Amino acid sequence: MSDRKGGAPLAPTEGKDAGGISSKGLSAGTIGLLGAVVIGISCIAPAYTFTAAIGPTASVVGAQIPAIILIGFIPMLLVAFGYRELNRRMPDAGTSFTWATRAFGPWVGWLAGWGLIVATILVLSNLAGVAVDFLFLLIAQITGNAAIADLAAVTWINIVVCLLFMFGATYISYRDMQTTQKLQYVLVTFQVAVLLFFAIAAITQAVSGNAFDFTPFDLAWFNPFAVGSFSAVAAGLSLSIFIFWGWDVTLTMNEETKDPERTPGRAATLTVITIVTLYLLLAVAMIMFAGVGTGELGLGNEDIQGNVFFFLSGPVLGPLAFLVSLAVLTSSASSLQSTFVGPARTLLSMGHYGALPKRFAAVSPRFFTPGFATIVSAIVASAFYVVMRIVSEDTLWDTILTLGMMICFYYGITAFACVWYFRKQWFDSTRNVFFTFLFPLVGGVILAVLFFTTLIDSMDPAYGSGSNIGGVGIVFILGMLIIVVGIVIMVWQAIKRPAFFRGETLSLDAPASLRRARK
Amino acid sequence: MSGQIVVGYTATEAGEDAVALGARLAAASGSELEVVVVLPADDRSVITPPDASYDRYLRDLAGSWLESATSQIPDGVTSRTNVRFADSFAEGLLAAAEEFGASHIVVGAANGGLRGRHRLGSVATELLHSSNVPVVLAPEGSRRVDPAVGVTRITAAIGTRPGADALLEEATSLAESTGAELRLLSLVTVDLPASVDTGVIQVAGAAHADQVLSQARENLSGVTEAEAVVGRGDSIEDAVQHLSWEPGELAIVASSRLAQPRRLFLGSTAAKMLHELPVPMIVVPRTRTSEGESR
Repeated sequence: MSDRKGGAPLAPTEGKDAGGISSKGLSAGTIGLLGAVVIGISCIAPAYTFTAAIGPTASVVGAQIPAIILIGFIPMLLVAFGYRELNRRMPDAGTSFTWATRAFGPWVGWLAGWGLIVATILVLSNLAGVAVDFLFLLIAQITGNAAIADLAAVTWINIVVCLLFMFGATYISYRDMQTTQKLQYVLVTFQVAVLLFFAIAAITQAVSGNAFDFTPFDLAWFNPFAVGSFSAVAAGLSLSIFIFWGWDVTLTMNEETKDPERTPGRAATLTVITIVTLYLLLAVAMIMFAGVGTGELGLGNEDIQGNVFFFLSGPVLGPLAFLVSLAVLTSSASSLQSTFVGPARTLLSMGHYGALPKRFAAVSPRFFTPGFATIVSAIVASAFYVVMRIVSEDTLWDTILTLGMMICFYYGITAFACVWYFRKQWFDSTRNVFFTFLFPLVGGVILAVLFFTTLIDSMDPAYGSGSNIGGVGIVFILGMLIIVVGIVIMVWQAIKRPAFFRGETLSLDAPASLRRARK
Repeated sequence: MSGQIVVGYTATEAGEDAVALGARLAAASGSELEVVVVLPADDRSVITPPDASYDRYLRDLAGSWLESATSQIPDGVTSRTNVRFADSFAEGLLAAAEEFGASHIVVGAANGGLRGRHRLGSVATELLHSSNVPVVLAPEGSRRVDPAVGVTRITAAIGTRPGADALLEEATSLAESTGAELRLLSLVTVDLPASVDTGVIQVAGAAHADQVLSQARENLSGVTEAEAVVGRGDSIEDAVQHLSWEPGELAIVASSRLAQPRRLFLGSTAAKMLHELPVPMIVVPRTRTSEGESR
C-alpha cells in the first residue's frame, strides 16, 4: 500500500526554510499528537462520509470500491503536501483564497475562495440532511416504532428538522462552544469502535449465510483496472476525495502543535492509517453483505445510496443498530461545527482583503468568531438544502457528486498555486523539487482531469440519481450554476470594490530562491 | 488606595460601560487601569481545527479594540492594555487581577440590559461565583455618565449576617480613598421575618444602624462624612426603591454566606438589589485576607 508509506516521510522537515514563521508569542503549540489525530478524525467524520459516499461510489465503480479508496488517497496526499508548503510560508485564515491570490492574482484567487466556500456550504447542507435521517432512525430504534423513521422522508418534516439542526449548529459555532477534550475523545473512539463493530458483524453475518446478497471476497476488488471505464474511475475518485476531505488539517497544523517538527506528520500518518483501514474494512464488509446490485439493500440501489448505514444497520446489527445511528449522529454533529469554520474563516479573509464587503470581516466581540460570515454560511446552506430537497428526491446523492466536483476545483487551483508560487525555489533543494513542484503538480493535474471528466460526464441526464432538467443532468447544472453564480458575484464585487481586483490589498508574490541569498 | 483596577473589556457597549466606570473609579481613587481583553485559549478547541493565523488576526483585532477603548479614558488616568488567553473570560480576568494585585475587577452588564439597570451576563455570573477581589458591575449606560461626576457617595448595604465586617471595612476604605461620603444602609428590618411586630422592627433597625455607624466612624479619618439609614419596605426591592441615588454613587454589598471564604458568591439579597439598583454595584468577598492581596 504505497499511500501509507507515502504518509511517513512527512514527519521530518529537513528543508532549511522549515518552521520559518515566528508565532509572535502567541499561546501556540498546545496540541499534542493525540489531540491532532482526534481533530483530524472528527473533521473527516468517517461515519458520516462513509454513509454518504459509499453508495454513489458503488454505483459508478461496482465492487472495486476498495481500489478506488486506495488510489483516491493519492491526489489527496499530493495536494496536501502543497497545502503544507503554502501554509508554512503564508499561514492565513483564508487558505486557498489567499494562496491562489498570491500566486495567480485576484481573479483566480477569488474563484478558489468561492470554490472552497461553496464546497463547504454544500457539505454543511448534506451533513444536516444526514443528521436528520439518523435522528428519526435513532428515535425509531429506541422506541421500537419503525414508522418514525419514515417521517424523515416526509419533505416538510425533513426540512423543518433540518433547519432546526442548522440553527443549532450555527448557534454553537457562533458562540464557539466546545465540548471538553475528554468528551470529544470519547465520541471519536466511540465512532471508530462502532464502525469496526459494524464491519465485523457484517462480515460474520455474510459468511454465516444471513447476508442480503452474499458476495464472496475477491482480491479483484482492490484492482482499479477492473473498473470498466475511465469515466467511472474519475467519478469514483472525485467521490473518494470527498471521503478523505478534512484530513489535510492534520498536516497543516504547524504552529499549533507542541512539536511542529514531528507532530503534524505523525498525526497525519496515524489518522490516515486509521481512516483507510476503517474504510477498506467497511467497504469489504458492505460488499460481502449487501453486494453492489440494485436490489432492496444492494449498494447500487438508488433509494438507499444517499445514506447507506440508514438502511443497512438494521439488517446487520439487529437490536444494536441504534449504535450506528448514534455514531453517525454524533459524527455529523461535531463535523457540522468543524466544517462551519472553513467557509467562515475564508469569508472573513475575503472581507478583510476587500474581496467581499467589509462586514464579512466582522468578528464577534464577545465570542471571537467570524460572526457575520458564520450566519451567512448557515443561511445559504439552509436555503440550498430546502431548494434541493424540493427539486430532487435524491438530494443527498446529487449534492455529494457536486461536492466532489467542487473539491477537485478548489483543491486543484490550490495545488497549482503552490507550484506557481514557489517557482523560483523549485530547485533550491531536492526536497523542494518534490514538495513544491512535482507532488502538487501531479496532484493538481489529477484533480483537473477529474474535474473536467466529471463535468462532461455529468451532462448525461442519467448521471447521479438520474434527476435532470431539460435533459441535462442535475449534477452538471448544479456545478455550472455554482461556477457561473461565482463569476457573476465576482464581477459585481470587482465593480464595487476594485481595490482588491487591482491587487492593491493582496499582491502577487513569488519568494526568491534562497540559494542565491546564501552565497 | 492607588492600586490597580482590572477592567474586562469587550468591544461592545457593555465593554465601554466597564471602561467608563473603571476610569471614573480610578480617577477618584488614584488607581491605575489595566484594560484586559481575554481571547479564547488555543487548547480549548477540540472540535474546530485550530488556526494560528486566525488567532493572530484575533490578537491584532483585540489590540485595535483596546486602542479605541483607551482613547475614551480621560487624560488624568494611567491605563495599560493587555491581551490575555484563557479558557473563559472570567478566568482570564481573575488571572490578570492576581498578576497585577488588583483591588477591583470591573465588568459591564450583559447585552440587552435596560437603561441604567443591571443584567448579569455569563462573565459577571462566573466572576461573582469565583472572584477573590471585589467585583464592580457597571450597569447599562455607565458609558454615558460624565467622568467629571466622579464618585460622590458610597452606599453599603449592611445586614447582620457574616461578612458584614469585611464589607464595612471595604466600604470605609473605598470612601476614604475616593473622598466620597459613606451611607450605611441597614437591612436588619428587611432581614427580619415578616411575623415580627412592626414596632420591634423599627427599634431593631435604628439600633443596628447606630451600631454600624459608630463602628464605621472608628475606621474613618474624620474627613469622610458618614450617615446611616434604615431600609424601609417589605422587601429588599422596596427598600432600594425608596432610597435616593446620586449619579456618582456606588453601592457595595457583601457576597453570600454560601461563598467559600474569600470567594464571591452573589447572595439572594444582593441579587435582588441588583435588579433595582440604578448605580454600579460592588460585590465584596465575605472575608478579606489579612495579607491584603493588593491594597
